[in-house]
Amino acid sequence: MMNYEYMFGAYSVAWVVIFVYMFIIGRRHDKLKKEIEFLKQLDK
Amino acid sequence: MNLLRTACLLAKKDLYSELKTKQVLLTQIIFAALVIVVFSFAFDPANNTTKAVIPGAVWVIIVFAGILGLNRSFISEQRNDTIQGLLVAPMEAASIYLGKFLANFMMILVVELISIPFLFLLFDFKFNGSLLYFIVVIFLGSFGFIAIGTFLAALSANSKSSEMLLPLLLFPITTPILIGVVQATRIILTNMEKFSSALAWIQLVTAYDVIFFVVCFLLIDYVLEV
Amino acid sequence: MSMNLERENAALPESQLTGTRGIHVSKILFGATVISMLVSFYFIFIYAAEEKTMHAAQKIFYFHVSSAWLAFMAFFVTFVFSILFLIKRKRIYDMYAYVSAEIGVVFTIIVLTTGPIWARSAWNTWWVWEPRLITTLILFFIYVAYIMIRQMDGVWDKKARLAAVFGIIGFADVPIVFFAIRWWQTKFHPIVFGNGPSQQGGGMEDSMLVALLLTITAFTILYAYLLYKGVSFEKMRIKVEQYKEKLREKMEQ
Repeated sequence: MMNYEYMFGAYSVAWVVIFVYMFIIGRRHDKLKKEIEFLKQLDK
Repeated sequence: MNLLRTACLLAKKDLYSELKTKQVLLTQIIFAALVIVVFSFAFDPANNTTKAVIPGAVWVIIVFAGILGLNRSFISEQRNDTIQGLLVAPMEAASIYLGKFLANFMMILVVELISIPFLFLLFDFKFNGSLLYFIVVIFLGSFGFIAIGTFLAALSANSKSSEMLLPLLLFPITTPILIGVVQATRIILTNMEKFSSALAWIQLVTAYDVIFFVVCFLLIDYVLEV
Repeated sequence: MSMNLERENAALPESQLTGTRGIHVSKILFGATVISMLVSFYFIFIYAAEEKTMHAAQKIFYFHVSSAWLAFMAFFVTFVFSILFLIKRKRIYDMYAYVSAEIGVVFTIIVLTTGPIWARSAWNTWWVWEPRLITTLILFFIYVAYIMIRQMDGVWDKKARLAAVFGIIGFADVPIVFFAIRWWQTKFHPIVFGNGPSQQGGGMEDSMLVALLLTITAFTILYAYLLYKGVSFEKMRIKVEQYKEKLREKMEQ
């Protein structure tokens, strides 16, 4: 038994967590950008 | 000296208003009794192995009854905005903290004085350890728990949902104290041969008490800013 | 309410806000993260020797330790910036403290998930009540609580102040938690230094050490990137708030 499944599991979990975090950051950015656009529209 | 005097004054005020209503103290004691009853359902009192959970049960009671009192101690000041009065009064933030700490500490000691004998009685626990050291451990543990608890209660009182926030802040921070006192209590109540390690635990808890009491004193100025 | 907004506005002069330089720094950090991650992958999977008893599962070790390192570093940064904030009262310090704590929580989650997977392969159990594991768990709870304080409603400087105080207390608590749990786990016989029964000794091959150090470097760069990103996002958010307030004033006229 080479234990590949454990290695694979651990690395995928780690990357999933990192990418989920990145995704959350990206979504916050998008939300803010939308808000900026909206405010710019109001300003005109 | 002035700090201590104003602190005592504040503690007296809190204890007087508590004596008048008996709201918090009564709730704490009834709550402690209920915890004991729940424990008797969870662990059969007739069973001999139940004796092993008594040291843990003592601290579960203290912690949960203590949280009830801590929650009230700063929230009650907010109802009529008296906290602002305290903040602008000519005294230091440290004496507000010390006063609140003294009041909370007195109250938890009363709760312990009533509920622990009650627990031993109901679970038919034969006390054959050292009573003096048992009292010392209870005293030191409650001291640290209430010291840091009062501080964090002042901190979380700023939140609208402070009742929910306080346990979340308090439990992780007090882990060392809880581990230490539960171990020390277990050794003192059931296994006096290992007394030297109980002493080591008492030292750890004492060190924690001193460190955090000082840290809380230094940082309370930042928590209780106008 | 308007008083709060005034304080928000006063907190950060607009000249401090994003410029073109910021985008460059972000891109350089991102590139460095990708390259160093790829290099560390090469070293983990190809260069480093395979462990004899655990085989491939041992490779988890590099990521696990690096995440733990990153989490501890992030919390240390939070601690330092909390102190700086309480002394200097500048909003930028508060932002660094907050973003760093958030990154720390994310990487603590990685530590707490890869740890049990490794434990399962090495000791055939998901969770052992082992000092470092429990300390990490407590650490996780402390910093989740820290973030809960940040979610409170109110003026930013009140939240920042309270969070900074908690950041200091929480960090001061960590070593005590570790020693308490270590004593507890050694079956009530206190030891302060040296290896307890549940702590295996070292004994690592050189190639493994190289791979570990490279992974740690890669993670540190990733941390720098995330921190930079987070802080520039926070700055942008404040800028939007200021913009909103300006618009409101305009409309009122």
